[in-house]
Amino acid sequence: MQPILSIQGVSKNYGSIQALNSVSFDVPQGCVFGILGPNGSGKTTLLSIILDILQARSGTYNWFGKPGSAATRKLIGSLLETPNFYHYLSAVDNLNITHAISGRGDAADIDRVLEIVKLSARKKSKFKTYSLGMKQRLAIGAALLGNPDVLVFDEPTNGLDPVGIAEIRELIKQLARDGKTIIMASHLLDEVEKVCTHVAILKKGNLLTAGPVDEVLANEDIVEVSAQDTVKLKEVLASIPGHTHLKEEGKAIQLFFPIGTANMEDINRYCFNQGITLNQLLLKKKSLETKFFELTND
Amino acid sequence: MLSLIKIEWLKIKKYPAFWWMLVIVALTYPSINLMFLNVYEEISTGKEMGAIAKMLLGNPYAFPETWHSVAFFSSFFIVLPAILVIMLITNEYNYRTHRQNIIDGWSRENFITSKLCDVLIISTIITIVYAIVAAGYGFYTDSKTFYRWAEQLEYIPLFYLQTFAQLTLAFLLGYLIKKAFIALGIYFFQYLIIENIGVSWFKYKVGNDLGRFFPFEISDRIVPPPAFIGNFGKDAKAGYEKAVAAVPEHVIMTIILTAAIWFICYRVHKKRDL
Repeated sequence: MQPILSIQGVSKNYGSIQALNSVSFDVPQGCVFGILGPNGSGKTTLLSIILDILQARSGTYNWFGKPGSAATRKLIGSLLETPNFYHYLSAVDNLNITHAISGRGDAADIDRVLEIVKLSARKKSKFKTYSLGMKQRLAIGAALLGNPDVLVFDEPTNGLDPVGIAEIRELIKQLARDGKTIIMASHLLDEVEKVCTHVAILKKGNLLTAGPVDEVLANEDIVEVSAQDTVKLKEVLASIPGHTHLKEEGKAIQLFFPIGTANMEDINRYCFNQGITLNQLLLKKKSLETKFFELTND
Repeated sequence: MLSLIKIEWLKIKKYPAFWWMLVIVALTYPSINLMFLNVYEEISTGKEMGAIAKMLLGNPYAFPETWHSVAFFSSFFIVLPAILVIMLITNEYNYRTHRQNIIDGWSRENFITSKLCDVLIISTIITIVYAIVAAGYGFYTDSKTFYRWAEQLEYIPLFYLQTFAQLTLAFLLGYLIKKAFIALGIYFFQYLIIENIGVSWFKYKVGNDLGRFFPFEISDRIVPPPAFIGNFGKDAKAGYEKAVAAVPEHVIMTIILTAAIWFICYRVHKKRDL
């Protein structure tokens, strides 16, 4: 299936600073694609390039199989960096401008999206009177206008309170269930892990990895075990065949195996035969946070 | 183009500064001309000097001279719509909507064209106000010359071109500088101080007319001072005739400069990071 977005060798410099270095990846249709990276890694620069706010030094990108253009941007609901609206206009007036430029939505749809982002009661208030969270919600509402099939969100939960964050997270999940393709940049790993199906990790402008979340995270098997006698358990586990290394994690010990090689029955039997009765045996998935720090730490 | 104008109207129609500008222009243009008219009436109704004054001045507010006089005196207040033009472009930077408009589906050319529409619309409004004021004074001061209303109508397009050219300079400053107060400061400084001093310096110190190539002066000379000015002083008549003769040349220079500014804006906007 043709990817929704295909990025090929995109590079960008700010003077002597290399913001992006030949970044390439595809965003498949219907996925929630998280772009991760520490501050200054190039996430927003990348999104700005694919939305024609910044000019790439080299490289190309295609939306829906065509070079990016004004016509392709009209099909995408986007929130980039900050909510950008006319301060002296109301939410409705601002969304009327979004509608007039993009062709997405109509008067009824403006009411619908304001209802979704819980701004109906303040829809006639001027934008400048909104709190930071309300401004962010209006920007999300503008992106949802016309129910586009593709959404681009840059730090969508910025400025929201915990309830607002949970609501937006649920909204993104719902949009994904509806088959929308969502491209989301965030430095909140927890947020990405909870909603994303695919992920790309950037560091200092370089793409470290990209692909389905399960594939990116699962490059080794982690088996967490514990027993009454931790000292003896550690001695026994050290001699277990096939593992690469082990690590104490509180009262438990984590055993690391090459991906797909950990056999839980063999580990259990081996320990029992060595006189150790396990009270915990668990195959764990690496958290995104762990993977992220592994990749991004020098 | 029509859709861009509609979208710009959505932005402008609820912008308070736009309506304030319109009210101030609608008050200022008649007022400044009323002031000059009062001066004229005071001089021309005096018992001894009245007849001489009438002979020298004519009636600058009767048809057809009203088109010329009102254009000249009203053009002093180009700074009022210039403030609005600068605000309209710097607001886009301030609110970062110059980015959002592109994100939502405008091309970069669309954005500059929309601003071109703003300047055209404001120039049109200003010209309409000027034409109404000029016609109003024409009727009010001397209804006997009404039959000459169609003479000197060329001052309407000349006033429009001058307004559009000088608002284009305002736009350029706002577009490049991005900060309203700095752009306004430079605009006022250039228009009111640098050019006045520069033109006088070239004229009286250097002894040439190179001052006419200052950006504002190029279009300022599209509408020369009213004809009665030519009746004062020994060189005034020659000076007036020279100014009138130079109008076509300044029209061409103004069109070239204005077109070059918009061309530069299109080119810069196409290439630059937003």
